[in-house]
Amino acid sequence: MQQQAPHSTETKGSSQTKPFDGLNIVDVSGTVATSYACKLFADYGATVTNVESAQGFPTRQLKPFIPSTPGEEPVSAMHGYLHCNKASVVGNHNNLATEPAVTQADLIVYDPATLPNTDSLAGINTNTCAISWFGLTGPYAKYQGSDGVIHALTGLMKGIGEEAGPPIIPNGVQAQIVGGLSAFNGALGHLLGQLMGNLKQPFALDNSIFEANMCMTDLMAINAFNENPLPPRMGINRFPPTYPLGIWPCKDGWLGVTALTPSQWRAFCQLLSLDDFVGVDFFNASINRLASADVLEPAIIQALATHSTEALFHKGQAMRIPLARVPTMEELFTVDQYVSRQAFSNISMQDSTFLAPSIPFRLFDTPPHFGGRVAALGEDNGLDFAETKV
Amino acid sequence: MSTEKLLNGLRIIDLSMGWAGPLAARNLADMGAQVIKVESCTHFDWWRSWEATPEWIEDNGAEKALAYLSVNRNKLDITLDLENPTGRQLLLDLVAQADAVIENYSGAVLPKLKLDYPHLKAVNEQIVMVSMPAFGTTGPWANYRAYGSTVEHSSGLPHLTGSAHQPPTMQHVALGDAIGGLNGTAALLTALWHKQKTGQGQFVDLSQVECLIPLGAEGVLHQSVHNSPPPRTGNDHADFAPHGVYPCKGDDQWILIQVMSEAQWQALQNLCTELNQFSDITDRLERRSALNKTLAQWTANQQSSELMAQLQSLGITAATLNNGLSLLEDEQHKARGYMQWLDRAFVGKQPHPSLPFRNGSDPSPLNTPAPTLGQHNKEVLGGILGLNDAELEKLALEAVIGDKPKLET
Repeated sequence: MQQQAPHSTETKGSSQTKPFDGLNIVDVSGTVATSYACKLFADYGATVTNVESAQGFPTRQLKPFIPSTPGEEPVSAMHGYLHCNKASVVGNHNNLATEPAVTQADLIVYDPATLPNTDSLAGINTNTCAISWFGLTGPYAKYQGSDGVIHALTGLMKGIGEEAGPPIIPNGVQAQIVGGLSAFNGALGHLLGQLMGNLKQPFALDNSIFEANMCMTDLMAINAFNENPLPPRMGINRFPPTYPLGIWPCKDGWLGVTALTPSQWRAFCQLLSLDDFVGVDFFNASINRLASADVLEPAIIQALATHSTEALFHKGQAMRIPLARVPTMEELFTVDQYVSRQAFSNISMQDSTFLAPSIPFRLFDTPPHFGGRVAALGEDNGLDFAETKV
Repeated sequence: MSTEKLLNGLRIIDLSMGWAGPLAARNLADMGAQVIKVESCTHFDWWRSWEATPEWIEDNGAEKALAYLSVNRNKLDITLDLENPTGRQLLLDLVAQADAVIENYSGAVLPKLKLDYPHLKAVNEQIVMVSMPAFGTTGPWANYRAYGSTVEHSSGLPHLTGSAHQPPTMQHVALGDAIGGLNGTAALLTALWHKQKTGQGQFVDLSQVECLIPLGAEGVLHQSVHNSPPPRTGNDHADFAPHGVYPCKGDDQWILIQVMSEAQWQALQNLCTELNQFSDITDRLERRSALNKTLAQWTANQQSSELMAQLQSLGITAATLNNGLSLLEDEQHKARGYMQWLDRAFVGKQPHPSLPFRNGSDPSPLNTPAPTLGQHNKEVLGGILGLNDAELEKLALEAVIGDKPKLET
């Protein structure tokens, strides 16, 4: 039995109108990045059509799978998360220009690495949005990419983990989600430019997942240029420029702590009765506290261990200290803040229903889909796409 | 029409500070929207400094913060004391002529100033307003405070990273900021699209914590369909080996190698004959520890970027682990002209990352560096609102506007 949201609301708000009503988007690749970019359009009402091969999109092979009986084809929950509220047709990827869905599209989203040949999109005279690991040009354009490769090259990975190493590979498909989100911004910005009359011609966007993920680390390069490089990896949960910053155990769970300003540091000391530190001017500067972390940490850990996470969290927030509960995966679904906002919503896929993240931004008057149903492979074969075009 | 002029004609009022909100607005500025950043001399963007002192002000520290410079390029900057009725009214006058407002104050600030959505809508029925506090504008934690680190703490992600014997593990000092910023751009664009189509503005709510949750989708889905979290396996992969980060020649030099097919394994074995003692994937998974040790002994004598090029030329998934300096020298970034250079007062020529999408072969050009505090008071308050020099002088005398930070007394 999969977990479900206590309430399954298709939409919040008074209107069923969606911003992208009438917009036709086609995904011909089905990578995580192309799928996530198209998902954001679908969540806000675009008609998104997956043109899949007979084997289906690559996302159908991604873990986790919904538990099934032996002999049954595994069903990917990740595919379900990325593809609810979309249509699925099986098409000929050798000549996409003749596919009915493609001929009616306002935007074709693709990853060139998934196409059988470079001519697959020849003859298409509409907007295109390529999303690839490294972009369409440059010496890495044909390199083998992965989420880990992107985290390594952007510099993110080098800062994670124990001082002696090895650095830790971030979990999951994060780099592709960021790449898809960034490509959505690029594509929508260009579509809006067309709508405003500023752009008269079809566009051919080249989105690099590598460059999209640089948003997390570009400051490293800028600081290095200014001869102010970040220090080497400092250990798990220890990062410049401040201390305390990290995740520590309390009596009954994990507490996330960040004290940046002098007033936050003094309040944190007051919260934990760290009287020996509170009056020391030297510790008012975040960088001095970081340099003294090994002195401060034993006292902080000892003090935290006597408190409950929940109590410290709320009391600290009342004192204007940015503390956090650090919920486990299981706890995420029951955090009152997230439940109240429907941060997770139900995905229906074949005979199963499970929880997935909801879209994180909410237009109040034209709300998004919250969850939805996932089309089976080729379920929409024969759909009249001319009718969906507005 | 290049990307830099795509959104010409849109005016965005940027009340945000720090990293996430300014990045969200900057992306629209990079696409040609007119973005007017509003600070005040006493409540300047804290991204300029969170520990301001008289010496810092004297040294023009407010104009030298690299973090501030990178997320505020291509914007105009004005100062308005929003606690002063005149300053507040001038902001409302600007909002009346704008398309969107973006802000990331903690929840109680704008209602107290009577500058929350109902007040803005009263002067401009069509205004789009994006609010992006850490936990969203609704729910019991709506007014809680957070930095990008707090956002990561709250997202569940730390329980997915690292090994079971390690504490929940953060990835970044402020992961929530950059991802919140990208989502803020998406929120603005989506609402502006609808406004352009229908003429309707609206309020948009964004939770920065919820922006991070999709990054942990694999863990969320695993928990949902299996009623258990995914195991924390560190750098090991359940289905592939070798898969990890291996030392290279030099201090703190590393290479990521992920062998994800038998073709890649054969290619790696041909290069590193020490691996011939290992065979198919079953054997490699069973003897993962010995395999990793053997591979690490081999990589330890290699230069990481050269090894990456060699492995990639053989079709093997591999990457050197960059740091700040090596990012500036990265061959892909250099070939694509990813870093652009803008000259700015107080700091000279500085590198700026391009937009991560391009229409054509070249990145969209960047036009102007980040503004100095109140640099465009005359251009905006005079040029848009029609104030004359005498009125601007009076505002300066009354400390409603200015161009130097002041410490609160």
